[in-house]
Amino acid sequence: MAPIIRTVNLTKKFGSLVAVDHLNLEIEEGEIFGFLGPNGAGKTTTLLMLITVIKPTEGTAYVGPYDVTREPDKARTLIGMAFQEPKLLWVSTPWDVLDWHAKVCGLSSEERRKRVRWALEELGLWNERHKSIHGFSGGMRKRVEIAKILIQRPKIAIVDEPTAQIDIVGKHRIWNMIRALRDEGSTIILATNELYEADVLSDRVAIIHKGKLLVCDAPKKLKDSILGGDVIEVVLEKEVPSKIVEELKAINRIVDVLAVKPNCLKIYLNQAEEVLPRITEFFMKVHMPVKSIQMSEPSLDDVFVHYTGLTIEEAQKR
Amino acid sequence: MISLRNVWIVAERDMRTFLRYKVLLIMRAIWFLAQIALFGLVVNKMLRPDVQDAVGGNYFHFYVAGIVITLLYSTAVFIGYDIFEEADHGVIEYLLSVPISRKELVLGRSIGGGLRSFIYVSPMMLFALYLIGISNPLQLLVAFASLFLFTFGVAGFSITLAVSIKSSDKFDILLGVVDALIVRLSTTLYPIAYMPDYYAALAKFNPLTFAADIFRWGAGIESALITSPWTAVLGIVLFFSMFTFLGIILHEKRIEGGGWQ
Ligand SMILES: Nc1ncnc2c1ncn2[C@@H]1O[C@H](COP(=O)(O)OP(=O)(O)OP(=O)(O)O)[C@@H](O)[C@H]1O
Ligand SMILES: [Mg+2]
Repeated sequence: MAPIIRTVNLTKKFGSLVAVDHLNLEIEEGEIFGFLGPNGAGKTTTLLMLITVIKPTEGTAYVGPYDVTREPDKARTLIGMAFQEPKLLWVSTPWDVLDWHAKVCGLSSEERRKRVRWALEELGLWNERHKSIHGFSGGMRKRVEIAKILIQRPKIAIVDEPTAQIDIVGKHRIWNMIRALRDEGSTIILATNELYEADVLSDRVAIIHKGKLLVCDAPKKLKDSILGGDVIEVVLEKEVPSKIVEELKAINRIVDVLAVKPNCLKIYLNQAEEVLPRITEFFMKVHMPVKSIQMSEPSLDDVFVHYTGLTIEEAQKR
Repeated sequence: MISLRNVWIVAERDMRTFLRYKVLLIMRAIWFLAQIALFGLVVNKMLRPDVQDAVGGNYFHFYVAGIVITLLYSTAVFIGYDIFEEADHGVIEYLLSVPISRKELVLGRSIGGGLRSFIYVSPMMLFALYLIGISNPLQLLVAFASLFLFTFGVAGFSITLAVSIKSSDKFDILLGVVDALIVRLSTTLYPIAYMPDYYAALAKFNPLTFAADIFRWGAGIESALITSPWTAVLGIVLFFSMFTFLGIILHEKRIEGGGWQ
């Protein structure tokens, strides 16, 4: 089956800054496609080109059969977006915003009333429906933004960091609603900085960095792909000199060592059960008391770190 | 293909938005009444009979009709400010993302921005007609239809300006200048007979002159016309078409790609 979204050397420059750099992606119909990358990687810029809000500098994208540079009006009939920053006039009310959105998306007045009410209730905004958005918290505004797409149910739904600023109960509710939207036949593009969110929701994820695609595959495959099937996190009493990190790397079966914090190392390795005693021995020998040791499976965090070369902390600081 | 339903959905949104400016709406109405009851009446008393003749016999009537047109202009231009308010909150991007065409969007906004000003000014227009008197209902109907188009043209003009400037401060200043010139270089407030030639030359091509002329013609103040009413109607239609068209083109070219301040 032909992919429902296909980008072909999609590029966007802002002056001399290349925000999106010859991106080639294919998104299959019916999947939840996670779109990851550190701040400023170019996620939002890519999505805005898909929904034809901004024009590519070079290359193009196909939304269904439509080329976004040639037939943007037609492309927009297939695609909808909940923006990263809620796009709302502060004087309007959730009811007005959502009712108008439903109307402009072509819903009949009966269907509109039903869906708007449903979304407001599900997202806990029903009692606030006639209050002006001016007095809303960031999380409440974000809920109004996400409600748009849940009401619209477009063939392709873009959600840009759908649960940023949302409390944990709300997060789970929104995740379930995103899954339900997919089950009803929508393809979902989920841009996020939360790797856990991408992991639990996505069928496939793409990681981009500085506008370029680094990898794209199922989360499970990506986790398996990074060298070393196991991860050990060691917290030490004091800072670890880089010389020690190098010596650790020389130990047999250790694939990579990453200083997550000055006193915390992440060790990627094979057959952890056998290597673990040698690691503790090593730290004793170099007089580095160990505070704690934890073994884990690789997570998307590790995949992210592996491919971007940034630690999660660095990525978030940028 | 343009869907009228979509155009209307956009227009209706702008009309609703207008209702939020309660203070502005009240202030404008007070301004209108003050201009008529104070300025209009006093100036009328100051004028010699020969001046009164140049404006169709009664400057007060001439002035009331002109004030209606300036009010129509200044409320129709308001849509440009809405665009900046929306740019501040990213709503422009949202509007570009919904499943309607750019043409429907711009057309809807011109119509919404125009219609809301027409509806708002209507009671004042009727009050003006009550003061002036109605002589030819058919002419009045033609005048109304033309003014209707005039407001869309002004809204389209405002949208075009807002989209080409992209900065609310500059827009504010520029609109102030345009406002000062376009009103003063027209026949809204005084007859062309008393303008120096080079002012008159400009005033003859001013859409506000056309609008004022056509309203006066509709109200039966015929001797105040500087051109035939049909020239004025044509001028308004051209003005409307040009700015709706420009608005659409610029919307496609300038809005995408960001850069709003
Ligand atoms: N309108 C604009 N004008 C100039 N530069 C821009 C504009 N929009 C984005 N950029 C730049 O393009 C780059 C990519 O930004 P983008 O918003 O796509 O990143 P992102 O991956 O969505 O990041 P985040 O995780 O913070 O949302 C950034 O360096 C940003 O500063
Ligand atoms: Mg973003």
